[in-house]
Amino acid sequence: MIELDRAALVKMIDHTELSAHSGEKKIANLCAEARSFGFYAVCVNGAYASYAKKSLAGSGVLLCVVAGFPLGAGTSSAKAFEAGEAVRNGADEVDMVVNVGALRDKKHDLVRDDIRAVVEASRPALVKVILETCYLMDEEIVAGCTLSVEAGAQYVKTSTGFGPFGAFPDHVKLMRRTVGPDIGVKAAGGIKNFKDAWRLIQAGASRLGLSASVGVVEGLSLYKFAPAAWLEEEIPCHICPSRFANLDKQPKAVYAYYKKKCLECPHVATYNKFYE
Amino acid sequence: MNGWTGKIVKVDLGRGTQEDVPVSDAARRRYLGGRGLGVRLYADLCPVLTDPLAEENALLFMTGPLTGTLMTSGRTQVISRSPLTGTICDSSSGGSFGAALKGAGIDGLVVQGRAPKPVYLRIHEGGVEVRDAAAFWGLDTQQTQKGLQEEAGGKASVACIGPAGENRVPFAAIMNDKDRAAGRGGLGAVMGAKNLKAVAASGSRPVDIADPAGYKDLASRVDRAVDKNPVTGKSLQVLGTSVLVNIINAHGMYPTENFRRGVFNDAEGTSGEKIAETLLLRQSSCFKCPIGCGRTTRTKDKHGEGPEYETVWAFGANLGISDLAAIAEANYACNELGLDTITMGGTLGCAMELAEAGAWPGGPRWGEAGKLADWVTETAHRRGMGAELALGSKRLAAKYGRPELAMQVKGMEIPAYDPRGAQGMALSYATSNRGGCHMRAYLVAPEVLGHPVFLDRFSTAGKAELVALFQDVSAVVDSAVLCRFLQFAVGISTFAEMLRVVTGLDFGDEELMSVGRRVYTLERLFNNRAGFGRADDTLPPRFFNEEFQTGSSRHRRVRLEEMLDDYYAVRGWDRDGRPRPHTLAELGL
Repeated sequence: MIELDRAALVKMIDHTELSAHSGEKKIANLCAEARSFGFYAVCVNGAYASYAKKSLAGSGVLLCVVAGFPLGAGTSSAKAFEAGEAVRNGADEVDMVVNVGALRDKKHDLVRDDIRAVVEASRPALVKVILETCYLMDEEIVAGCTLSVEAGAQYVKTSTGFGPFGAFPDHVKLMRRTVGPDIGVKAAGGIKNFKDAWRLIQAGASRLGLSASVGVVEGLSLYKFAPAAWLEEEIPCHICPSRFANLDKQPKAVYAYYKKKCLECPHVATYNKFYE
Repeated sequence: MNGWTGKIVKVDLGRGTQEDVPVSDAARRRYLGGRGLGVRLYADLCPVLTDPLAEENALLFMTGPLTGTLMTSGRTQVISRSPLTGTICDSSSGGSFGAALKGAGIDGLVVQGRAPKPVYLRIHEGGVEVRDAAAFWGLDTQQTQKGLQEEAGGKASVACIGPAGENRVPFAAIMNDKDRAAGRGGLGAVMGAKNLKAVAASGSRPVDIADPAGYKDLASRVDRAVDKNPVTGKSLQVLGTSVLVNIINAHGMYPTENFRRGVFNDAEGTSGEKIAETLLLRQSSCFKCPIGCGRTTRTKDKHGEGPEYETVWAFGANLGISDLAAIAEANYACNELGLDTITMGGTLGCAMELAEAGAWPGGPRWGEAGKLADWVTETAHRRGMGAELALGSKRLAAKYGRPELAMQVKGMEIPAYDPRGAQGMALSYATSNRGGCHMRAYLVAPEVLGHPVFLDRFSTAGKAELVALFQDVSAVVDSAVLCRFLQFAVGISTFAEMLRVVTGLDFGDEELMSVGRRVYTLERLFNNRAGFGRADDTLPPRFFNEEFQTGSSRHRRVRLEEMLDDYYAVRGWDRDGRPRPHTLAELGL
């Protein structure tokens, strides 16, 4: 089990504000919180890169900006331009969204080139590739990870937070197994409390993207007084992507894939029943 | 002195004397203020078995080191022995009365003795005056507050009782700042027994802050955290506490008709969303509070504050009533007459089941919305059916030979979360130092809302440790004297930081948690000596023997015995629920 203290936890967090309706006040608050808690980075949309950079001046907190967000379906040149502009506006890191459709179509060269274009336009900034795992089956996640590494990205990332579900330990484990120890894995989406964060770190995440960062850090201060409650073995279905599969929001093949996994799951007899 | 004023005044209404109560720096560090220091002082002043309504009983109005400083710091803790339960009792009230006491230059007020005629206390920066209240005796809480504010030139914050307190109804509330209530435990009756109609406080003395720059930074940080948290920054602001109605109902643990079912078919019609569509006039806030969970509402004929979640339930689903206006008007009546809405509704639910079962043929009937406000009025005045209802559910059910129909713990009525739907909440109710109360350890947060960690609500594993933790954190917040809702947005480290910037004392997380543990254990010691033990750490038999047949908590029973020994072990208590000597030594008790 990975031991965590507050200092280590805050340095794993990209404190994030990517809502369409967030204005300068929210970004100012985000930066103030990051400065106050010493988070690793803040993550914002491109329109707020310059503003956030100024707000973070002298704090040691890095600036992360998204590109091709949240769909990843734009052209490579548009993504590359967006990334380059973010870096010119002060971004230390760029979180780009992979071309999910191309990845599902197995157009691997296109995907690799798309990522490479962003990596090159972002230099010297570090690039994280958001795979949007909620739309992918395991073999596509593996392919996405492999192509990201081949294209020169330094990180792979689970989710935008805008899809039907966010980061799950199973996906993080798969991504970590695929990229090995030298490439970063960022878990993002649906991380609401310390236990969510702790689970993903145990699964192999080296960075977390979330907006509930303050709550997560505050949760650590309670966890140390009652660890049994946090470490209690949980019902596996509660943290399984199959449980969160949603036919309205996912491609039908992906939905069917996750539901099929339930049938093969060793926990099915114990837990897969009407529960709540 | 930073944070505290260093002055606690004791007034003996019988003897007509006043004196300062000496409190050492060490005691302030060990108990902070509010609930913690109040319970300590009460235990030092009164023998354990003091009759709550006797003149020698003490009633304390306490502030804390954070009162009058950061957000939500206008609250007051009222402490005494409860006439409803016989346990030690503290009751917390919002508004600005606490800040007014602090502004007048005192950390707390201790009242003993019985005045020969009705009086009120006027507290200002010049001291404490005992004044004649004959003109106010018999008035409701709104008339009393208005009158006393006029006497004070419009500047005072007033805490007072209504007819229920005067008539010593054992669940009478103390009302302040219009409709804020120290509701639970019947401390309004203690006030009435002293012939003390009200306390009116005013003052503008600022609180000395140890680290003004750090204070400013921290205030901004907490403000941001409150704004960002979905509970404090959104749900409570927009929908008030009644946002819970649909949530708890969907979990099948919304107690219906005296806890006989867990789903109320008309829940939607009494929800926070429905209140916003039909009754809401405006959001209302306590002193320096950015949350503003209060609801100022109006019906066709009346207006007032509420109903909040517990009250919507107590007069709604619990009685089979879905008439939102009738619920609101019963709430207004409780505010005006000074009654705890939870116990009032819990007692009515018990009475209705007694009537249905034929044990009390003349009792009230399910769903009679039109009679709600009248029942409240009769209870406050102890007349008609109210003479019986004023007993509270435990005594009422015992009187009619069906004690098992009272949904209470240690004599206090259980609020709006059926424990069959949340095992941790069951343990929390059973081990609460003041009886059936959700505020000692709000396990609904982790078991239903997923804060600060999402736990399986039907599992008993890990719950003992978490209940003890929540009880201790709550004791800290009640002793520093802030609103519990802050716990959704910030944790123990931030509370320690708040105390550091205000008082200059560096508590750290561990020391602060030990304060909470000390306070909880001291309360337990008091209760042990008052005769409460393991046999009282239980729930009504319904929760062990009866299952819901519908809803998402169906086929569940409370499994208290799986948790109770673990809980005692976590607490350092023996199998009878008595703190072990080494626990007392560790905590310096």
